Amino acid sequence: MGVISAVGNSVAENHKSLVEGLCGIRNEFDLFPTKYAELLPFGQVRISTADLLKKLHVTDPGVTRTSLLALHALNEMLQDAGLSPAALSSSETALAGASTVGGMCLTDELYADANKKTDGSPYTSSYDCASVNMYLQKHYKMNGIINTINTACSSSANSIMYGAMLMKNGFAKRAIVGGVDSLAKYTINGFNALHILSSEKCTPFDEDRKGLNLGEGAAFLLLEKEEDIAGKKVYAELTGFCNANDAYHPSSLSDEGDGPFLSMQGALKQAGLSAGQVSFINAHGTGTENNDEVESKAMLRLFEKVPAFASTKAYTGHTLGAAGAVEAVYSILSLIHQEVYPTLRFKKAIPSTGLVPVGSYKKMPVQHVMSNSFGFGGNCSSLIFSKV
Amino acid sequence: MLYIHQAYCISPQKTFQDVDLQELHEPAEKRLLAIEPLYDGIPPGVLRRMGRAVRMGAGASMPIIKNTAELDGIIIGTGKGGMEDCIKFLNQIVQYEEGLLAPGNFVQSTSNAVAAQVGMMSKNRSYNTTHVHRGHAFENALIDAVMQLNEFPGSNYLLGGVDEISDFDYNIENLDGAYKQESISSKDLYQTDTPGSIAGEGAAMFLVNDQAENAIACINAVNMLHSQDLAQLEKLLQQFISTHIPAGEKIDLFLSGESGDNRTLKFYTACESLLPVNTPVARFKHLSGEYATASSFAVWLACYIMQQQKVPGNMMNGPVEVLAPKTILLYNNYKGLQHSFILIRKN
Repeated sequence: MGVISAVGNSVAENHKSLVEGLCGIRNEFDLFPTKYAELLPFGQVRISTADLLKKLHVTDPGVTRTSLLALHALNEMLQDAGLSPAALSSSETALAGASTVGGMCLTDELYADANKKTDGSPYTSSYDCASVNMYLQKHYKMNGIINTINTACSSSANSIMYGAMLMKNGFAKRAIVGGVDSLAKYTINGFNALHILSSEKCTPFDEDRKGLNLGEGAAFLLLEKEEDIAGKKVYAELTGFCNANDAYHPSSLSDEGDGPFLSMQGALKQAGLSAGQVSFINAHGTGTENNDEVESKAMLRLFEKVPAFASTKAYTGHTLGAAGAVEAVYSILSLIHQEVYPTLRFKKAIPSTGLVPVGSYKKMPVQHVMSNSFGFGGNCSSLIFSKV
Repeated sequence: MLYIHQAYCISPQKTFQDVDLQELHEPAEKRLLAIEPLYDGIPPGVLRRMGRAVRMGAGASMPIIKNTAELDGIIIGTGKGGMEDCIKFLNQIVQYEEGLLAPGNFVQSTSNAVAAQVGMMSKNRSYNTTHVHRGHAFENALIDAVMQLNEFPGSNYLLGGVDEISDFDYNIENLDGAYKQESISSKDLYQTDTPGSIAGEGAAMFLVNDQAENAIACINAVNMLHSQDLAQLEKLLQQFISTHIPAGEKIDLFLSGESGDNRTLKFYTACESLLPVNTPVARFKHLSGEYATASSFAVWLACYIMQQQKVPGNMMNGPVEVLAPKTILLYNNYKGLQHSFILIRKN
């Protein structure tokens, strides 16, 4: 596994922050000029783009912050897995990534290029979502299936599913799966226009929640088949996954949460688990009025007794297309260390649901973790990771 | 692997209702713009809010939604999604100095807006995903559909590819060297010895399942490669043919994505030289123009050719006649780096 987020540049740093309850959301935004730097808190990764270029020894022109964050997380994952260059470039190794922003983090350059105000910046082939995995493919000379998925905020949950399906169906022997997004003036203004950004640090599942905070990050995981894992370090098993659609509204969830209900139910079914066997739910929990109430209702519909649940977006902010992968790493950390991380700053339950998330760090037996990711366009996905 | 039962396409040619590929629609301002239908069945209020990619994608999906009792999923490939809405929103950010903006363009600009819109229109709560890996976006969508059908036999999926040209995207791609600087007639596309192609757009939508009966065509194999190395491509094609086309079976038609770009011609020439002598070759980019998901247009075209059992004359490259085509091999190359082979057989 490899991860970079506002709470750390490595798996170990992220783990330490989760255990110690250290929030990465701050009012110190300095990636690019925006009037919201003063007004809103963000989950910014604590390393500048210039330092990322230096640290990763990248000298090619046209490489965006999004691609650099992805490379940073991928490098950590490769080192952790000890994957040889030959295995990495094998035609049997797939790369299933995800991004919603791609190179659009360069909002001002994109504006100039799209409106013919330049003779062409170095980024003309770097704006799309695919640019990240095109870069990783080239960097590591990969020859397997390469893909990028964009289902908004559930993107990297779907790239994890896609990688698993490629292996199951014989299109790959192993799959590198994950996702990335970096902070962009584009998404900041987009979410602001929808009036779902909180001017304070977000408080998922709290009655007085005021919206989400945008974050950035990247995470990659290596999936291998059960028959290929002998003698290797194994963190967890991906036992269930499901993608369903809410088919209700382009940017909000239906009152009863049909999409979230169906994705959670489908993942349980695929894992062959009953609702009562889920130890912990890593909730989507963005901190918006709509998401947290609907997600709670869907959990109440599916679970006779709602398991322990929490949202790590109170640490990292919402990392959009990276969230599914970043939180897959966190879910797996819960399985490895038999512990769960609290929803920071939670005070009062939502009256209509009465659900109280985990409020403090605790050790507990964790056998199966369900991780939810829901996105615009009604795109809902749930994954289940199990202890090995 | 999977069977195509319905195929609909909105493109720069007359491909949607009364199909006519004899009369060529020419580029305007170096772009082959799609001929958009009236979009019967989409409420005007909804239609007005849709961006061009969403409109074409939803429009080409409408007949499938109407004709199919229940869809088990929606799988879309798109290189860029709604780029026009994206830059419109971006221009608002700059123009109003990050003031209070209307979110409409932002919501429509996300790549998954086509699949989301089709999901909402068909009240479909099942599998819904959007592949955006540039020149492999449709190919990955195709593989996804194959895998879903393996997992859930008997299901029906709406599978498609869609991309739009907007002024903004044209400007960016043009700066990136994707298009020809000179204005040309589409029939001269393959005669130019200059870099770049003609910008194109379109939406092709398919109903696919695992039932052979009454299918238009079958997709038997898909293979992809990222490479600038000719030898690697040649090796892949040789492997593809030896794995998927039994000795004795003829390739009735090689459907070539040749785009008029003199930088990528070598890949097409290399593939053609590896085919058995007298394999007929047809090209399609003078019809569709070049875009990330043009291979979805080509798959629609292959379905049309299977149904008609003949190839429109303006597509043929060379004197070899195509008789009763049953096996079509599609090769497409996007920007000299993303290659794909798709094998389509008549059912």
